[in-house]
Amino acid sequence: MVFVKAQKTKAYFKRFQVKFKRRRQGKTDYRARIRLINQDKNKYNTPKYRFVVRFTNKDIHAQIVSASIVGDVVLAAAYAHELPRYGLEVGLTNYAAAYCTGLLLARRVLKMLEMDEEYEGNVEATGEDFSVEPAESRRPFRALLDVGLVRTTTGNRVFGALKGALDGGLDIPHSDKRFAGFKKDGKQLDAEFHREYIFGGHIASYMRTLMDDEPEKYQTHFSEYIKRGIEADNMEELYKKVHAAIRADPTAVKSTKEPPKAHKRYNLKKLTYDERKARLVERLNALNSTADDDEDEEDDD
Amino acid sequence: MPAGHGVRSRTRDLFARPFRKKGYIPLTTYLRTYKIGDFVDIKVNGAVHKGMPHKFYHGRTGKVWNVTKRAIGVEVNKQVGNRIIRKRIHVRVEHVLPSRCTEEFRERKKKNDQLKAEAKSRGEKISTKRQPEGPKPGFMVEGATLETVTPIPYDVVNDLKGGY
Repeated sequence: MVFVKAQKTKAYFKRFQVKFKRRRQGKTDYRARIRLINQDKNKYNTPKYRFVVRFTNKDIHAQIVSASIVGDVVLAAAYAHELPRYGLEVGLTNYAAAYCTGLLLARRVLKMLEMDEEYEGNVEATGEDFSVEPAESRRPFRALLDVGLVRTTTGNRVFGALKGALDGGLDIPHSDKRFAGFKKDGKQLDAEFHREYIFGGHIASYMRTLMDDEPEKYQTHFSEYIKRGIEADNMEELYKKVHAAIRADPTAVKSTKEPPKAHKRYNLKKLTYDERKARLVERLNALNSTADDDEDEEDDD
Repeated sequence: MPAGHGVRSRTRDLFARPFRKKGYIPLTTYLRTYKIGDFVDIKVNGAVHKGMPHKFYHGRTGKVWNVTKRAIGVEVNKQVGNRIIRKRIHVRVEHVLPSRCTEEFRERKKKNDQLKAEAKSRGEKISTKRQPEGPKPGFMVEGATLETVTPIPYDVVNDLKGGY
């Protein structure tokens, strides 16, 4: 063995301070979390709601969460995998689907709090900046956008979800700087451009280019779309229908699956001392028997 | 160079974060709510520089008299000369812990109320006063053997130390 100086000595481990568990897992940005959760002390127990948007490879999670010492409490949640119920079966993680998920969450929350009649939001989805006006009796539902660890570039899908929630009627402080279609030189949001994105226009134009240039790639890439008969021209209609369906019935459906009686075990069960000793004896016996066989073979040779 | 008596003088160890507890502070400190009249302990958190009380108040307990956006007003007793002044300071919530000094009292109050209610339903009178620990009861010493010890006459020759 080459003599290498041990890099991580016992002293290193003794002095090592672990980061918070969720930081070690790379899931929570505590700097942002502190600032999002901190409530004015003279507001005592008034909850401060966060509009949490997270993207996985095949799904979108949108939740309204409030923090507590025991653990965060989710008021309402909407997932992109619920969108098939409203007529959208493909492209569940694109900008348009993010818009739909945000819209679904907003309508769901407002319905839950019985504010949906008062705060219709923006029924006609134009791409321009829309903020809720306070109605007469109740103030609008306020939440703060929590992007997580995502890099907030212009046109990010997180802001698609944000736009969906805004148009749904939630009061979320924002600026239009990061919506798809904001021109840095003009310092203005191009509402038409944004509207294209909300209705999947950017996907439609890609479909058209592929159909013209590389038809085989079009077949493979958009196979699910073709299977369902979704073409570049009827994208906008499809999304309009989905928006209408969402506004009609945003209530959540409870799953009818029974929770399993015993929890599934994900890690190996720890063996007792006796079990470990027994295992060791077995392994030694096995080793000895194979060693004997080898010796016998050698002797034969 | 002279000693220097700045606000944070002599606080090198007092305000230092404990071993392996540096960095972001856990979020429960931000989620706690305080009401006027609560008792709180002041414990300075060196990681947060704003709203730090003077080192005198570290370890003091006081009553909340004001609640603002990010800080608490605490009323602490301080001896100045020959009198004790009730000082009102504002401290950010990161430097404050809810005090447990009244916890025992509150528990006892609850238990006593319960005992009194039970006694009332049974129709008997009980005293819920705390009694101080009295003298221990008497007992007989068991299994002791007597050994009489008498002093021996002083012997100069043997008892001289340091060699002879």
